Amino acid sequence: MNKKEVFKLAKGFRGRAKNCIRIARERVEKALQYSYRDRRNKKRDMRSLWIQRINAGTRDHGVNYGNFMHGLMKENIQLNRKVLSELSMHEPYSFKALVDVSRNAFPGNKAAIPPKKEGLAILV
Amino acid sequence: MAALSLCSSLTPKFSHSQQNPTPISSKFNLSSSSFLSHSLSSLTLNSRKPPHTLSFVPKSNGTDTEVALAEPENPEAQPVIETVEPKREEVFAVVMVGGRQYIVFPGRFIYTQRLKGADVNDKITLNKVLLVGTKTSTYIGKPIVPNAAVHAIVEEQTLDKKVIVFKYKKKKNYRRNIGHRQPITRIRITSITGYQDSPFVTL
Repeated sequence: MNKKEVFKLAKGFRGRAKNCIRIARERVEKALQYSYRDRRNKKRDMRSLWIQRINAGTRDHGVNYGNFMHGLMKENIQLNRKVLSELSMHEPYSFKALVDVSRNAFPGNKAAIPPKKEGLAILV
Repeated sequence: MAALSLCSSLTPKFSHSQQNPTPISSKFNLSSSSFLSHSLSSLTLNSRKPPHTLSFVPKSNGTDTEVALAEPENPEAQPVIETVEPKREEVFAVVMVGGRQYIVFPGRFIYTQRLKGADVNDKITLNKVLLVGTKTSTYIGKPIVPNAAVHAIVEEQTLDKKVIVFKYKKKKNYRRNIGHRQPITRIRITSITGYQDSPFVTL
């Protein structure tokens, strides 16, 4: 690509990498390589984030992530993790309904009580 | 009753159709355009990005971004001409399109993979509805809610923003620079129907 395009992509780079073509070209190529790699990594990272969020949401109701997903699979509910994490954040009542469905399908947790809150969390 | 956090400000996603669609927040403008609505002051984040980028950062899914900041309406600055929006039913659905699942609200739009054979202003029915939620009950589908359908209108068939696919192997003199624009379709959800007879869970 020509110099104009390189400098356009090099906006915000540190030091001479945004001004001098030889250095900018190297940094831009590296940046594009990273973006190629990270488009694939982003999918992994996001799934990991969704799982963490679902875990947090279900543990509030006394079920952990593994048992929750097992229960959903048993009931043939095909919601994916992205949607489940969004529901756990923004639609708490619907999410609780899902947790109850899963708990009935697979009662894997010994005690179906929410975890005990300690310290300042008691106030919440 | 159940204070459902349906963080849907049911403000219609009106990107001013004359300009290019840059659906960032619905701007709070006092111009008496015909899109003025009652609940104009609630901001909904809606940035224009492809559907597969994940919705925890408010992106493509006009629907998934539930950051509805309801500002208190300024009593002094009320414009004289106001069109009152018809009351939308507060319901959401999870629908599967193009291999991906979206949370949809009536009145908002989403970007999906290109639907072949659909022209602009075509009515579309999406049948794979996995979950429907209203203020008082949730209809969980196993796997789909029977007879539920989401109706939508095709708004636009465009290409996504360009991504540069740059492949490089060091010391081997190999570099390839390819641009890629994915074909996508923007559809606006009009209504969610047909779920009333299915088994539900009351909240």
